[in-house]
Amino acid sequence: MNECNRPLPSSYRDPAGFIFQYENEVYRQVNEAGRKDYDLLLQTGLYDSLTKKKWLISHEEMPAGFLSKNAYKILKPAQIPFISFPYEWSFSMLKEAALLTLRIAKTSLAHGMMLKDATPFNIQWHKGAMIFIDTLSFEEYKDGSPWIAYRQFCECFLSPLLLMHYGRISLHTMQVAYAEGIPLQLTSRFLPWRSRLSIHTYLHIHLHAKVARKNKGTDQKELLVPKNKLINLLGSLEMLVHSLSLKDTGTVWGDYYAEAANRNDYLTQKKTIIATWVEKLPALKTAIDFGSNEGEFSLPLAACSIYTIAADADPVAVNKLHKTIRESNIQNIIPLIIDFTYPSPAIGLANKERDSFLSRISNTDLGLCLALIHHLCIGKNIPFASVAAILAESCKHLIIEFVPATDEKSKQLLLNKKDIYQWYTQLEFENAFGQHFDTSEKQLIPGTERVLYLMRRSHR
Amino acid sequence: MSLLYIDPGSGSYLVQVIIGAILGIVMFFKNIKLFILSLFRRSPKKQQDE
Repeated sequence: MNECNRPLPSSYRDPAGFIFQYENEVYRQVNEAGRKDYDLLLQTGLYDSLTKKKWLISHEEMPAGFLSKNAYKILKPAQIPFISFPYEWSFSMLKEAALLTLRIAKTSLAHGMMLKDATPFNIQWHKGAMIFIDTLSFEEYKDGSPWIAYRQFCECFLSPLLLMHYGRISLHTMQVAYAEGIPLQLTSRFLPWRSRLSIHTYLHIHLHAKVARKNKGTDQKELLVPKNKLINLLGSLEMLVHSLSLKDTGTVWGDYYAEAANRNDYLTQKKTIIATWVEKLPALKTAIDFGSNEGEFSLPLAACSIYTIAADADPVAVNKLHKTIRESNIQNIIPLIIDFTYPSPAIGLANKERDSFLSRISNTDLGLCLALIHHLCIGKNIPFASVAAILAESCKHLIIEFVPATDEKSKQLLLNKKDIYQWYTQLEFENAFGQHFDTSEKQLIPGTERVLYLMRRSHR
Repeated sequence: MSLLYIDPGSGSYLVQVIIGAILGIVMFFKNIKLFILSLFRRSPKKQQDE
């Protein structure tokens, strides 16, 4: 028996407990320090109310003594297949997470409890929606006490959402630099002057930044905020978040699919070939679609009960896929903003708190890499060998499309290049990928010069 | 207060008191406005009931 479960590197802040891994499953330990609030969560009916709405992750309590004698309780929460971070979410995903946090705070208040922190890292994408995962974030509400996590909410949710709303551009990567929240002073300075005309933005950002700066270090423990005022505060935040949107400035791809579909049934042909191959592969559980765009090829995979990560560098495309998923209630696909050439790094304490994207997707069953290779190799000068090595780390099976230099789209990429990319040939491509993969199928997409490959990672 | 493990941020309590008061005033006038409007307008729900 392990007397001292080792917390995961991201779980060091809360004295009430931590999460740890045991036999590839995630558990949560409740320490003695967290006993009172955890019991209260269950006794007040808040846990039931939140889990019924699917706002909070459900868990089962493990028998006493399981893995630890010192812990008050060991919980086994419903397992999340893939952990993602706010800097990989589209605008509407972050907005959904913000609204969820506020609704949970309001429901908690109604049950005599309150959230003691408000960070998007407490939220994950699960079964087609955002869900709150930190069971130990709840504490007893004491009448008149202000919301301890108010500033954290403003910095972690409001700041990025407002900057994107007013800037009309996705700033998801800003959250890598400011993982603990974008400082209010910075947001206040970056927002246009007209943002002060919105009373809610003025209060929660501009006034908040000013008052906080002036009163730095003063003792405010005696200050009281009556409950009805706190409810008004939450209502005001909710109204503000609700009103925010990221104007659709058109995807980088514009009407790519409308145009591509006209090319001799190119998309239909491609889909048919892929469907036949996927059917032949033994029990696929997970897949990652690099360059998923709006999910044209991820959605059919998800429909085959494969848990699919749809990754694209274009925030607008990811936002659109998020909308599709919400509308059709698809449970097993996760849309993420990922630039293949610039995937999320490992960040935080000792660089271990939040794993890099590539380490989280290693050993996925199937990788899709469709109409992407020319963007990587011609567009970004990445050698075939590097792309092959990255994909070999990520997936066991690979379906990849080779787009020759003579293809219309490659020609467009070559238009403003001095280099003539002599190495960009099908033979070089096959050689480079042959170092890591064995090709089992190869098929020309009828009516085009493009070739689809089905490969299997070779045993090294 | 030893269990408060996140820094609530100096000034963020005071601002909640201020914002609470301002929102209170805003709500007060909003309610008056809604009340006056309701005198002139029948709510669609009431019409359905009739």
